[in-house]
Amino acid sequence: MTVEPLTEDQSDALQELANIAMGRAGKSLSTLLDSFVILSVPRVTVVDVGDVADTVARMANAPEIGTAVRQAFFPTVRGEAITIFGPEGCREIADLMGHEGELGDSQEQELLLDTANILVGAVLNGLGEQMETEFKYTPPSILAVRTPLQQLLNAENLDWTCALLIEVNFSLDERGFTCHMLTLMPENSLDYIRRTLDEMLEDL
Amino acid sequence: MSTQAWHASPPLEYIIDHVNVGLFVVNRDFEVVLWNRFMALHSGKTAEEVVGHNLFDTFPELPQRWLQQKLRSVFLLKNAAFTAWEQRPYLFKFPHNRPITGGVDSMRQNCTFQPITDDSGEVAYVCVSIFDMTDASIYQERLQETKRQLEEISVRDGLTHLFNRRYLEACLYTEFDRVRRYGGRLSVIILDIDHFKYINDTYGHPTGDTVLIHLAEILRNNLRASDIAGRYGGEEFALILPNTDPAGAATLTERIRHAIAEHPARHGDTVVPFSISVGISGLTDAVPEPEALVKNADLALYRAKANGRDSVVRYDEIAADDLSDSQ
Repeated sequence: MTVEPLTEDQSDALQELANIAMGRAGKSLSTLLDSFVILSVPRVTVVDVGDVADTVARMANAPEIGTAVRQAFFPTVRGEAITIFGPEGCREIADLMGHEGELGDSQEQELLLDTANILVGAVLNGLGEQMETEFKYTPPSILAVRTPLQQLLNAENLDWTCALLIEVNFSLDERGFTCHMLTLMPENSLDYIRRTLDEMLEDL
Repeated sequence: MSTQAWHASPPLEYIIDHVNVGLFVVNRDFEVVLWNRFMALHSGKTAEEVVGHNLFDTFPELPQRWLQQKLRSVFLLKNAAFTAWEQRPYLFKFPHNRPITGGVDSMRQNCTFQPITDDSGEVAYVCVSIFDMTDASIYQERLQETKRQLEEISVRDGLTHLFNRRYLEACLYTEFDRVRRYGGRLSVIILDIDHFKYINDTYGHPTGDTVLIHLAEILRNNLRASDIAGRYGGEEFALILPNTDPAGAATLTERIRHAIAEHPARHGDTVVPFSISVGISGLTDAVPEPEALVKNADLALYRAKANGRDSVVRYDEIAADDLSDSQ
C-alpha cells in the first residue's frame, strides 16, 4: 500500500508557507531585475514516479519542447529543482541579467544557468525561511536542450517511488518571458518538512 | 617550536592563505576586504595592493556590468551564485599551470559566490572562491574531440571517406519522411563501376582501391550542397538528391560521366580508364517506402548493365510492360 507522504493538514500548511514564500521571492526578484515579476500561486502535489513524466509534460502553459536546468539542494531537505524554459531560452531578459552584446551558445547557456539559479534561490530561500532552515545549493547544470518535456525525466532511471512536487510559474509580462520551476523532493527526505509542519500545526 | 604558538591548529588566516583555492571577499561597495595568497600569486597583485580598493578599479578588465549584477543577486537574494568554465572560461585571466604541455590559453575556473551575513541577518559580504579547472577542462576537450572523431568514423567509409551505407540509409529515411510530410522532390542514383573485377584482376587490388578513391573524389567535386554521396558496398555507390527529379539526377549523372571520361584513374604510371553504369529513380506517390526507391534505382542499374554497361537508365522511363517482364 502507498503511504501518503503528507497528511491533508500538513499539505494545507505547506501550501500556506509556499504562498508566503512566493510573495517574498517575487518582491526580491522584482527589485533585482528592476521589473515587475509575477510568480504564480505554487502548486503543491505528490507525484508517483510513474506519473512524473506526464505531470511535467502537462504543466499549465508549458512548452512542448523545452530547455531545462537542474540544481540540487540540501541538507535538511534534499531534492532537485528543475527550471524549464521554452525553446527560446531566456534571451528576452539577457540585459536584465547583465549580459551585453550578441549571445553565443556559451553565453546563452550561462544566462540559462544564472536565471535558473536566482529563481531557485529566491523561491527556496523563501521557503527555507518559513521553515527555519537554510538550504545549500550545488552549481546548476544543463539537464536537456530543446527536448520534448515528456522525455525530461525517465521513470526507468529514477530510484524514488513518490515525491513532493512544488510547481511555480515565473513570468515577466513586459518582456513576454515565462518559465516553469519544479521542485522535487523524494519521499525519504521529507522528515524535516513533516516535523516542522507538525510543530507549526501544534502551535496554532 | 614556533608551531606551539598555534595550540591545537594553525590560525584561520594561515589556512585561508594556504588553501589551494582562490578566495576573496567584497563588501556592498565592491571593495575588497580579503585577498588570499592564491589570488595574490596568480594575479601578481598582493593583498596590500588590493584590499581596501574597489574591485573594478583594481581590475578594469573584469566584465563589470555582468559581475555587478551577479554580486547584487547574492546581496539581495542571500543566495549563492556560480560560474562554470564550460560557459565562462575564467573570471580572472590567470596564467595556467601547463606552460610546457599546453592546451589552453589561461587558467580555466569554476567560481562560487557565497553570501556572508552580518549580525542583523543582512548580507554584508560576498565570498568568491575560484577553483582551477584547467586539467579537467583539457581532459573534457580531449573527450569531446574523441567523441567528434568517433561520430565521424561511424558514418564514413574508411577507404573513400564518403558516407557509409548505414548513414545513407538513415538519410534516405529522413528525406523520404520530409517529402511525405512537406512535399517536394527526391531522387536516388545508384552507380557501379563497370568490370571492376577485371580491373582488380588485371592491375591488382591496390589499383582497384585507387579507382574507388578516384571516383569518390569525382563524386565529391560534382555534388551540390544538399546532395549526399556514399559507398553502398564494394564498387557500388549511392547518391541521395533532395529537391531533385529524375531529369535533374540524369543531368548530374552526365556531369559525373563526363568527368570520369576526362580524368581516368591513375595508379603510379598506369592510367586506368573506367566507366560506370547508372540507375536513377525518383520519389512518386507509387513508392510506398524508402527501400522501394533504392530497389527501383537498383532495377534501373540492372537494365543499364544489361544494355551493355557505360550507360544510364531512369526507372521512370522503363516501359510498364517491359517492367512487368523483368519482375
